[in-house]
Amino acid sequence: MTTLIVLLLGLGVGVLVGLLGIGGGVVLVPALVYLLHMDQHLAQGTSLFILLPPVGLGALREYWKQGHVDLRAGIFCALGMLIGGYLGGLIAVPLASRELKGLFGCFLMLAAVLLWRKPQPPREQTTSTAEEAAHG
Amino acid sequence: MAEGPLRTAGIFVAACVCGVASGLFGIGGGVLLVPLLVLVFAFAQHRAQGTSLIALIPPTGVLAFAAYAKAGYVSWKTGLLLVPGVFVGGIVGGWLAKRLEPRRMRQVFAGLMFALGAWQAVGAWWG
Repeated sequence: MTTLIVLLLGLGVGVLVGLLGIGGGVVLVPALVYLLHMDQHLAQGTSLFILLPPVGLGALREYWKQGHVDLRAGIFCALGMLIGGYLGGLIAVPLASRELKGLFGCFLMLAAVLLWRKPQPPREQTTSTAEEAAHG
Repeated sequence: MAEGPLRTAGIFVAACVCGVASGLFGIGGGVLLVPLLVLVFAFAQHRAQGTSLIALIPPTGVLAFAAYAKAGYVSWKTGLLLVPGVFVGGIVGGWLAKRLEPRRMRQVFAGLMFALGAWQAVGAWWG
């Protein structure tokens, strides 16, 4: 049963990866904590583990075909994230699980605000149809 | 889009910040990188998402992962079970993203994320 939950969880997270161009850890970590009752550190380490293979490659292919990729910026981003990630890992490991969980929550709220805010695109006729498709 | 060295340096610094969040919270970092590329560097939404996916192809979290693994904070079995789903789901999501106007979807997701974050912060410090 747990195996089935984990498999389906992976699928659900993957859809968000492709749809939003994110790694998916932001959903995966709370899911592991609440659904599988993992400790915060264990959930975060496991999330980093699944991000090691290029899980977003299938999604990337779709964006690439449409020309929605800035390769040069992407390479610089990868370099920056590699270095930053090392620092973040050093900070996280010695923290108490409870503190880390609280910080994670605050980060989610901040990221949510950033994700919501964006320059308003011009109103489109197709918006309502797209909304129905998104909900249906 | 101007491709000045200053802009490139800016993107690099922004990515470093995303990397710290990635290591600190065990995430990919795209959730921060995408809005930063859009809000600060004026990327179109789809282009920001595609570029974020490029940045996630190399194992950028490997150094952070090593720190967690050394401390024993990895569930290998669960991780291995998750990988195929995320990969297949990613193809479905990428296909959907071409067809949907992603703004509403993103806002629904942001709303859920905010609620989840608030729940987790309150649970950790006042639970």
